[in-house]
Amino acid sequence: MTTRITGGRVFDPTNGVVDQVRDILIEDGRIVAAEEHAKAADAVIDASGCVVLAGGIDLHSHIAGGKVNLGRLLMNDDRAKFPEPFGGVLCGCGGGRAAPTTHATGCRYSEMGYTAAFEPAMVGANARHAHLEMADIPNLDTGGFLVLGNDDFLLRMIAEGEGQQAVNDYVAWMLKATQCCAIKIVNPGGINAFKFNGRTLDFDEAGPHYGLTPRRILNTLQRAVTELGVPHPIHLHGCNLGVPGNVKTTLATIGATEGWPLHLTHIQFHSYGTEGDRKFSSGAVEIAEAVNANPHISIDVGQIMFGQTVTVSGDLMSQYRNHGIADPKKWIGMDIEMDAGCGVVPFNYRDSSFVNALQWAIGLELFLLVEDPWRVYLTTDHPNGGPFTSYPHLIRLLMDKPFRDAQLARIHKAARAHTRLAEISREYTLEEIAIMTRAAPARTLGLKDRGHLGAGARADVVLYREEADREAMFAAPRLVLKDGDIVVRDGAVVALKKGRTFAVHPPSDPLMDKRMERWFDEAVGLKSKHYQIADHEIRGGEGPELVATAPESAR
Amino acid sequence: MTTDDVARENGTRDGAERIVTDVVCSFCGLGCDDLEVAVRGRTIRPVKACAEAGRLLARKDAPAPAPRIGGRDATLADAARAAAGHLKASRAAAITGLGADLDGLSRLFDMAMVTGASFDHAASEGLFANLERLSRRGWIAATLAEVRNHCDLLVVLGADPDLSFHRFFERAVPARGADALAAPLFVEGRRRVVVIGDILSEGARRSLAGHDLVEIVVPPAEVALAADGLAALLAGRRVEGVPALDGAVGEGLASLAQALKAAKYSVFVWNAATLGRRDAASVAEAAAQAVDLLNPTTRSAVFPLGGRDNLTGAHQMALWRFGYPLRTAVGGGVARHAPELYASATALKDADLMVHVSAFRPDAPPDFGRGPVIALAHPDTVFVREPDVFIPIGTPGVDQNGHVFRMDAVVCLPLTALRPAELPSVAEAASAILESLRRAA
Repeated sequence: MTTRITGGRVFDPTNGVVDQVRDILIEDGRIVAAEEHAKAADAVIDASGCVVLAGGIDLHSHIAGGKVNLGRLLMNDDRAKFPEPFGGVLCGCGGGRAAPTTHATGCRYSEMGYTAAFEPAMVGANARHAHLEMADIPNLDTGGFLVLGNDDFLLRMIAEGEGQQAVNDYVAWMLKATQCCAIKIVNPGGINAFKFNGRTLDFDEAGPHYGLTPRRILNTLQRAVTELGVPHPIHLHGCNLGVPGNVKTTLATIGATEGWPLHLTHIQFHSYGTEGDRKFSSGAVEIAEAVNANPHISIDVGQIMFGQTVTVSGDLMSQYRNHGIADPKKWIGMDIEMDAGCGVVPFNYRDSSFVNALQWAIGLELFLLVEDPWRVYLTTDHPNGGPFTSYPHLIRLLMDKPFRDAQLARIHKAARAHTRLAEISREYTLEEIAIMTRAAPARTLGLKDRGHLGAGARADVVLYREEADREAMFAAPRLVLKDGDIVVRDGAVVALKKGRTFAVHPPSDPLMDKRMERWFDEAVGLKSKHYQIADHEIRGGEGPELVATAPESAR
Repeated sequence: MTTDDVARENGTRDGAERIVTDVVCSFCGLGCDDLEVAVRGRTIRPVKACAEAGRLLARKDAPAPAPRIGGRDATLADAARAAAGHLKASRAAAITGLGADLDGLSRLFDMAMVTGASFDHAASEGLFANLERLSRRGWIAATLAEVRNHCDLLVVLGADPDLSFHRFFERAVPARGADALAAPLFVEGRRRVVVIGDILSEGARRSLAGHDLVEIVVPPAEVALAADGLAALLAGRRVEGVPALDGAVGEGLASLAQALKAAKYSVFVWNAATLGRRDAASVAEAAAQAVDLLNPTTRSAVFPLGGRDNLTGAHQMALWRFGYPLRTAVGGGVARHAPELYASATALKDADLMVHVSAFRPDAPPDFGRGPVIALAHPDTVFVREPDVFIPIGTPGVDQNGHVFRMDAVVCLPLTALRPAELPSVAEAASAILESLRRAA
C-alpha cells in the first residue's frame, strides 16, 4: 500500500526541510525516499492549504500507572463532567479531562496530531501495571521513564561506596526489568528521606538514613546513563519543587552537572524567587540565562493552565507539603515498595490567584526566553500543570503575541506587575513548534524513525489546515496518519490502532541477577523473577520496540 | 503458554512428578510468590502453601468437563452462541463475581460495553467501605515492602489477619533474619504489634513470636468505637463517658496513642470485609484520621487488607478503562457509576440476566431467578440451579498464564500455568461470546 501526500507545506526540521511544498510518499507504514517518488501511489492525499508535520511526541505526560489511577479515583466529578463524547464502535470507554481514561487519553492526543507520549514516572514496583495500562491506550506509541534515586538498593550501594560499574549494572538491570526507556529522578533522595521523617532536602544536604546528598545521587546516575549509552539524559524533577526561592536550587543543579547532559523537567515549578512583598517572584530570567549558556541542558516547562486539574507526582515529600491547598479537599499519598512514593493532590489553578497567575507567566517567560527550541519541549506536565488537551491553547500563547497580551490582561493584577511577559515580543514560528513538539523530543529519546518525515521514518504524519487562529489549527488537524493509516479526520478519531512501547535493554553483569535475587528475597519479600517484566508481557505478546543504546566506550 | 509448551516443560504429560517452585498465589490478595507444588500430568499437589492456597491449587487428574447449555453438554462454540443469544435479548445484564485475571476482565468489560451491563466483584463490599474514605478524602498508605522494612508499630483493627490472609504477619512484619539484607532494614529493636479486637489465633502468635505483642481485647461490635476512640485520643480529645472504652480498653488505647506518637513508622491494618459495611467505613475513617494526626510529627500509613481473587485488579482496570470504580454500568456509549444501584445484590434485583464469573474458586453464583444465568465458572462449582449456559473455565496460575494485583494496589504479579490447559480461560470464553455477538449483529 502506497500513499502520496501532495501539495502541503512540509516542516521537517530534522532533515532541514522548512516550509517547502513537497510530496511525502508512504509505503507499508513508512516514509520512503525521494527517488521512489516516481512510483504511482495507491492513494493520493491532497494537502494543499495544509501544514505537514511529523506526529507529535510528548516526552512528559502522566498517562498511566498507579498514581494516575488514584487521580481518576479522586476526580470522579471531573470524569462525569467530561463524559464520552463519541458514539458507535469507538465508544463506551470513558472520558475525563484531568485524569482521562486510557481510551480517552489516546483519542484526545490523537485528535491533536500526537502519535507518541511518554509516562515520565514509572515506579519499578508498579511498572507492570503501567505497561498494561499503556497497552490499552490507542493510537499512541508510549514508553516509561523509570524512577530511580530514592530506591533503597541504589542509595545503599552508593552509601557503601560501591563503584560506578556496580551502579551501572544495577541501572541496566532495572531498565530491562521494568522495560523502560530512560531514567527519571524525582526529588533525589527526598522521597526516601520522607520515609525517615525528613521534610526537606536541599541539593547539598545529606539525607537522613544514607547520608547522601541529592548532588551525589544525581551525579552518580548521570554518569550511569551516560556510560550505559541511554539516549535520553537523566530526566530530573529537582529538589524543592514549588518552594519560593527554589531558583537557587535549580541554578545549583545546573552548575553541578559536571558536563554530563541533564534534562530538567517541569522547570516552571523550580523557577521561583522570593522577591516582592508576597515573597514569591519569577526566576525565569536567571533560569533561561543558565539554560542558554549550558548547551548540555534541556528542559520542559510544565506550563500551568487555569482550571481544575489533579497533580500526580512521585514526590510525596513535596505533595505532603502541598496537600493543605488541595482543591477539592482530598489527597492520597503512598510510600512505595523501597522504590519511591507518590502523592496525588487535586488543584484548581485560578487566574485570580496571585501565585497561580505568576506561575502561568513564569512558564511562558521560560518558553520565550530560552533561545534554542531543540532544548525546550512543550509540556504542561500533564495533568500537573494542566491537562494535555490545553496544548493548542498553549501553542497559540507562544505563537501569537496579541493573543498572549490579551490573556495576560485577564490575570491577577499584582502578578502582572511581577512578570516581564508583556515586554517579550517573541512569537514562536511553525518551524520552532515542529522542533519542540516533534523533532527535539524524538532526538533526545533516541527515536531515529520518529519525529521526522525523512526516508525510513514511521509514517506518523499530520496535516494541519493553515489557520491564523493557531489554537483552532492545532486542536483539529485535517488528517492524522499513524503508521500510514488515517486515524483522525477533521479532528475526530476515525480508527483505532495499537501503539508500540519503547524500551532500552543495556546489558548488565549476570552477577547482578544474583544480587537482585537476594535483595528481593530478603528485603522486598517478592521474587526478583516476578518483579522483572518479560518481553512477551508487553502489549499482549508484541514485545517492546528497543531503542539502541550507544555506550560511551563505543563512542 | 500453550498446552504443548506446558507439556514440553513437563517432559511428558504422564511423566514423573515435577516440583514447581516460586508459584505465585492469586487467591487471598497477599500475593505470596514462593509457593511450591508437585505436578504430574494434570494432577497438582501443594507442597508449600497455606491451607487456603493448597486447597485452591490442588487438582486431580479428572477430565475437564464440557460446557453445558441447559444442563446438556455442548461445545464451547455452541455455548458461546447460546450465551450471546441470551445477552442479545437482555436489556439489563449484571456481571457478577468478576473473579478473573486482567486479560479476562478486559474481555468481560468489552462484553459489558457491547451488550450493556453493570459489573461488580464478589468481594467488593470491603473495598467500597474503604472507598468511603479513600475516594472522598484520601489517605496515606504503604506497600508491603515498606511495612516489612519501616514499620516499628503495627496496629491491627478488628479480626485477626491470620484467618483470611494466613501469611500476613510473616510477610509484612517478619522477625529479623540472619541475612544482612533481611527485613526489617530500618527498625531498631523489636517491633511492636497492638491488636484492637479478638484474641489472636495460635498461628498468628507463632508468626509474631519475635515481636512485642499487646492485645486490647474488644468485641467485634465495638472495634469501630475503639478505633474512633484512638483517633480522638490522638487528636487530644478525651473519650470519657463511653462505657465500651472504660477501664482496661481505655488505658490500652491511651497507652497506644502515646506509643504511636513515639513510633517512627506506624502502620494501621484492618480487613474491611469482616467488619460489616458501616463499621468498616468507620474503622477506615478512624485509621486514616490517626495517620493524618501522626504524620505532622512522625511517619504513619494505612495498609488495608483485602483484595481476594484479583478484586484489586478489577478495581484498577475499571478505573483505567472507564474512569470509575466497580459498581458501574456501561453501554449505549456511556458509563454510569452508581454504587448504590450497581452493587451486585442490588443490581440483581433489577437485572434480566446474570453473567457470573469465578475462575479462582468454585463459589456458587448469587441466587438469581429473574432471567437467564450464564456462568463462566470453576469446573467444581456446585450450582443450586443449573445455569442456562455454563462454561467451565481454567484458573489463572493453574491452567493459564495471567496477571493479578496484590492487595496494596501497586504490585501486579505474573501468573504462570502449571499444567496443560484443557479448559478455556475467562478471556477465551468471553471472546467466544463476543465473537458470537458480532456475528449475530
